[in-house]
Amino acid sequence: MSNLSVKIGNSIFPNPVTVASGTFGHAEKYFNLEEVKKLGAIVPKTVTLFAQKGNPPPRIVETASGMINAIGIENPGADEFIAKKIPLLKKIGVPLIISVLGHSDEQFLTLIEKFNAVDGIAAIELNLSCPNLNHKVLVAQDPSSTERLVAKVKKHSRYPIIAKLSPNVTDISEIAVAAERAGADGVSLINTFTAMAIDTKTRRPVLGNLTGGLSGPAIRPIALHMVYKTAQRVKIPIVAMGGIMSANDALEFLIAGASMVAVGTFNFVNPRAPLEVLEGIKAYMKDHKIKDIQELIGSLQV
Amino acid sequence: MEKIQNKFRVIKNEKLCPRFYRLSLQAPGLVKKIKPGQFIHIRTKDSLEPFFRRPFSVYRAQNSADIFYEAIGPGTNILSEKKKGDELDVLGPLGNSFSLPPKGTKTIVMIAGGIGVAPFLIFSDFLKGKGYDLVLLYGGRTKGHIFDMKDFKKNGCKIFIATDDGSVGVKGRVSQLFGNIPLNPKTTFLYTCGPNPMMAAVQDFAKKNNLGGQASCEEVMACALGACLGCSIETTNGYKTVCYDGPVFDLQEVKFH
Repeated sequence: MSNLSVKIGNSIFPNPVTVASGTFGHAEKYFNLEEVKKLGAIVPKTVTLFAQKGNPPPRIVETASGMINAIGIENPGADEFIAKKIPLLKKIGVPLIISVLGHSDEQFLTLIEKFNAVDGIAAIELNLSCPNLNHKVLVAQDPSSTERLVAKVKKHSRYPIIAKLSPNVTDISEIAVAAERAGADGVSLINTFTAMAIDTKTRRPVLGNLTGGLSGPAIRPIALHMVYKTAQRVKIPIVAMGGIMSANDALEFLIAGASMVAVGTFNFVNPRAPLEVLEGIKAYMKDHKIKDIQELIGSLQV
Repeated sequence: MEKIQNKFRVIKNEKLCPRFYRLSLQAPGLVKKIKPGQFIHIRTKDSLEPFFRRPFSVYRAQNSADIFYEAIGPGTNILSEKKKGDELDVLGPLGNSFSLPPKGTKTIVMIAGGIGVAPFLIFSDFLKGKGYDLVLLYGGRTKGHIFDMKDFKKNGCKIFIATDDGSVGVKGRVSQLFGNIPLNPKTTFLYTCGPNPMMAAVQDFAKKNNLGGQASCEEVMACALGACLGCSIETTNGYKTVCYDGPVFDLQEVKFH
């Protein structure tokens, strides 16, 4: 048996396959919880300090090889999430990476405090990059804001911190370096690209929020390049996402330097995709006589 | 609730009238689980175009799982070309279902616009023999939308038809047929499915006459499992997902704009 386990901070994950936040709900509604148990980690939808009702519909639109969404982080707020969802998520028995979003540094710190009080979390992902909340500038669009926030959060969190980065920047690796300098235990990339669609009959934007975030296989080669570039510059683990549909897609990201890979939008088309990715990675390792996933991570030959 | 994702074979894919098709899937395991008002989520093609699955109300679940659809976009156009023996990747059954009307109900009026008639055959299959008077008010744009409704007739439905151009039945919207609804709040209950402006008219009519009812809603969907929150609609109780909280809602709960 080969070793598939990966580490972020002091947390160990049984395998590198997870799901991208926002594509798995809070897991309890998911298709088949028995199958979910095989994943390396579960990342539920981002939680904010207070409940958010989300953006007005329409919230999604299908595009070429992908979709644009503007859900607007609809969620029940941290207290209800902790009271109602965490017990169910824990029951699944898969390491949990909790995605949080604060609208200020203080809110991020309060969220950290609340999750410090919850046992059995594997890591906290800071959503610094949601494009659908009409913030003028995202934290992850500015290296100094990223560094400031990650440093503050790191000081208080009992759990490893992963900074989720935005592709809507000139050089994502700059932001990753800032997060690493501030003590982040990992970075996850990429969130969605700001995008829009127009209904030519009405000449109105299709989405209720006017703009949204583009995801799906359409963005995969760009995500791959961003992960590759970031891996050249940081030593902390990278959780990669961006249009992953198959084991071959995931292997590209691992070879480029990602330690974990997340299936996102494609969950909506094939809810079994994460498990197929895991099986495919195992088969590839067997075929190539790879004993430890670490031999594969960042093994790009140039 | 247990859901199935599997490949099922097409038994039949027939054109019922110029605009509408009925596709039957050999899916015995699925058929047993389907309740009236639920839907199935179909991957029309094993490729990236179109990207999403497509949700379809179940039209009938007896010997096969049947859907009723209009070939109107990339997904449904692909479906219309499916032949007997082709396989389709199906996820379902999904969503809630119609619930029975309150005690004392004598007349059930189903009000459908166009392809919105789809969930009412399986519902009338279910209601048949339970002692209700079944009425179907159906509106189509033109005669191309009018199909042979013999299965509804066999279930004892009294059918009234309106078309926008008057080519079949009464000329005008389905609201022209509201005069056929017995106005007794204790004994009449409404079910509606169709375009939002039509369901809004049903909602107004029901409110004015104090009639209870349920509406089956439609939205563009990605996951259809309640995970992505993409198909949310506005209700008097906040945003609700059509796929998981619905597709069936209390008639007065939905905010049709």
